[in-house]
Amino acid sequence: MIIEIAAQGGFGGIKAANLRKTIDVSDQPEQMRQELAEAFGPDELARLSRQPCGDCADRLTYRITVTEDRETRSFTLREAQIPPDMLDLIDQM
Amino acid sequence: MCFSLNCSHHHPIACIVPPYMLRVLALRGDPKTAEMARTLLKQTEKLRDERAEQTRAGLPPSEPITGAYATTAVSPAEGLCCPDRRIHDGQFKAALPGKLVRSEGDGPTGIADADTAYDAAGQVFALFAEEYGRNSLDGGGMPLVATVHHRRDYNNAFWNGTQMAYGTGDGKVFRTFLELSVIGHEMAHGVIQHSGGLIYENQSGALNESIADVFGSLALQRALGQEVHQADWLVGRGILGPGINGAALRSMKAPGTAYSDDLLGQDPQPWHMDHFVATGDDNGGVHINSGIPNHAFYLFCAYLGGRAWELPGRVWYRALQTLNNPMASFSDWADQTMDAAIELAGRGSIETVMLRRAWKLVGIAI
Repeated sequence: MIIEIAAQGGFGGIKAANLRKTIDVSDQPEQMRQELAEAFGPDELARLSRQPCGDCADRLTYRITVTEDRETRSFTLREAQIPPDMLDLIDQM
Repeated sequence: MCFSLNCSHHHPIACIVPPYMLRVLALRGDPKTAEMARTLLKQTEKLRDERAEQTRAGLPPSEPITGAYATTAVSPAEGLCCPDRRIHDGQFKAALPGKLVRSEGDGPTGIADADTAYDAAGQVFALFAEEYGRNSLDGGGMPLVATVHHRRDYNNAFWNGTQMAYGTGDGKVFRTFLELSVIGHEMAHGVIQHSGGLIYENQSGALNESIADVFGSLALQRALGQEVHQADWLVGRGILGPGINGAALRSMKAPGTAYSDDLLGQDPQPWHMDHFVATGDDNGGVHINSGIPNHAFYLFCAYLGGRAWELPGRVWYRALQTLNNPMASFSDWADQTMDAAIELAGRGSIETVMLRRAWKLVGIAI
């Protein structure tokens, strides 16, 4: 499972500050592998993308692409739609 | 011409003879005309006094404003006194609000970011309370909740609908977000939300951003005691990373010149509608096109001189209170500021002339 994360927006609106990360879940330690698989499963990402966004002033927008078994799915999530634990995982990557 | 003595004070528009003409008629007219002109002049003066009383020298009117998007927050503040600041340490995690480290009245924590957030929140509260009669962000005295050390290497600061959050920056692109104009900007998003809101995309989103920049800059200028020509009109001065070639994130005085750097590129903000950027990124360029109304505000202030947070700030604040249109365009907003300027300074006043000139110079005719 490959996870690609790209983030844009925010108070600065500066493209160079945009985040880009790619992680191969199979290369991670067991506990991290399990947490990532649960948090970034396509069904979970699809559920999150349907959550209400709330106030989005100055918040980031994430484009998350998950590739698994030769299938690629992409989701656009607002920062406010992502649970704090998942944001912490993104920061740890 | 309105020579009728029935020119009621309830309908001031019905009387269109300007005071200077009445003075001429009072001096040069025949006895009957001169008497009529003197009577009308007295009525005009009485009307002006009543209007000044109604507008409370630029503060909110005594009667609540009504409308689908007008909230109690736009009514005059009751029990306006003191901020209720609650500063938290996010400890580099995403969960909000984090650990409470300083409440209202507590002494400094020794955590530099927390203490800066506390002091700055007090200065922004004071701007809205003392200059515009607003009791906190919602107008009803809501606590000022903020979190510092939000997430790890987080290149952002935001208002999430109930509180402010500030990252530390990654040390490369940004070194901090704890700067008064930034804090004022985020808190102003709260004021905008509770004043009816502006949809955060395209022109209404750029207005949301611009109004936040305006009050962020005014909070800084007021705290420094700077008049228009002493201020640098920068938003986020000193927050860019140490290796970045740039003074700030945005410039209201000269949009497009805040930074020019190999990593960041050129500040993309336009100052004129001819250079409006049509893009799907950044919610339709809300942080880019805000340069246009930002520059209009700067020009208005520069023409008038003095303290920008006084009449210009009151005009923008009053316009925000009465906007009642979450999808407002730049043109709608310009019209709204003109209505506010007429209310506060009078129709035909030098202030309204300068405001029209400011909008015209950025390509918006009103």
